[in-house]
Amino acid sequence: MSMPHETFECGHTLEELSLYLDTGEFPDPPHLESCPECRSGLDSLRRLSAAGEELFASDLAAAGSGNDDWMKEILAHLALELRPGRSIPLRADDPADTLSQTEGSVLALVRSVTDNLPGAVAGKVRLDGDVTVPGEPVSVRLDLAVLFGHPLMPSAASLREDLAEALARHTELNVAAIDITITDVIEAPREEM
Amino acid sequence: MRDQLDVVPDAILAGRAADGDTAAFETLARRYGPHLRASARRLTGSYADADDVVQEVLVQAWQQLDTLREPAAVKAWLLRLTGSRSIDLLRRRRNHATLTGPEDDQPADTVSPGAGPETAVVAGAGIRSLKAALSTLPEEQRRCWILKEINGQSYEEIARTLNISPASVRGRLARARITLVREMEDWR
Repeated sequence: MSMPHETFECGHTLEELSLYLDTGEFPDPPHLESCPECRSGLDSLRRLSAAGEELFASDLAAAGSGNDDWMKEILAHLALELRPGRSIPLRADDPADTLSQTEGSVLALVRSVTDNLPGAVAGKVRLDGDVTVPGEPVSVRLDLAVLFGHPLMPSAASLREDLAEALARHTELNVAAIDITITDVIEAPREEM
Repeated sequence: MRDQLDVVPDAILAGRAADGDTAAFETLARRYGPHLRASARRLTGSYADADDVVQEVLVQAWQQLDTLREPAAVKAWLLRLTGSRSIDLLRRRRNHATLTGPEDDQPADTVSPGAGPETAVVAGAGIRSLKAALSTLPEEQRRCWILKEINGQSYEEIARTLNISPASVRGRLARARITLVREMEDWR
């Protein structure tokens, strides 16, 4: 089969067919069914696309695993800086002292308490309210993923208790609410990548 | 814990990473690192440059994760960053080459644009002829094709990466495909 001049005898072009494959847009869709040249052009483009997928699969295999040394080396060089967030004031016994904890450390506390609950993994955590003013009401909002086979509602209820207790012990925040949104239920182990 | 992070969806990891959780960020890096590396290798044609690109992308991603509007789209975002960084590197390399002469144009470990990264996997005939055909493309067309087929970027995203119009992307991509199809059929 010989390919292709850029413009077929029917007046359509390979550029149009290329766009059609990516977007589904074509000025005269029924024409594609009946025109042998356009059909043969589409076949060629589809074979190319299949070869492209093969090439990608082969490149991906050659790139190795994310658990290999090359990635460990890159990660070791990253030196990710901390995200402290807002500064949360703490009461000091001596008025001359200024004590505070970072918002980042409170978010880490919420994640850690959550992750300790079997089957639960914390996502994004937000502290809504002005945490920089002592006594201001603060809502803790948390995205939660629950692993399949763990009960959703009891998990959320007991997590709320655990979080309230941990926040009361380790912070001076006036926690007005703890809102938990279950964003994901994880069905099965992810394929090894 | 490490195991749990490995099974959670991207949006959870991206949300945690934006909050400052380095373990979640590293899980994302391990999950998509090979794809970023494969993309950067194809675009830059160099193993060493590709790993530099991946490292730069991860630094940038950590700094800018909290600006990512759709955390579930973190993979596409990382690939876009990889495309941009790779293209920047190619431009720097070209400028450098004009200053120092053509013999410095390519780093020593360069993979020729058509040749694939060395692999134990025996490449099929389709892959071999595609690699050969890719090496015949003009550079600008080759970049469009890789950003589309390896990175999965849209015309608009490719246009922004290459600083050209979406219409130019459409034209270059079509010309690239026409040449590739023709070359590959000659190969048979």
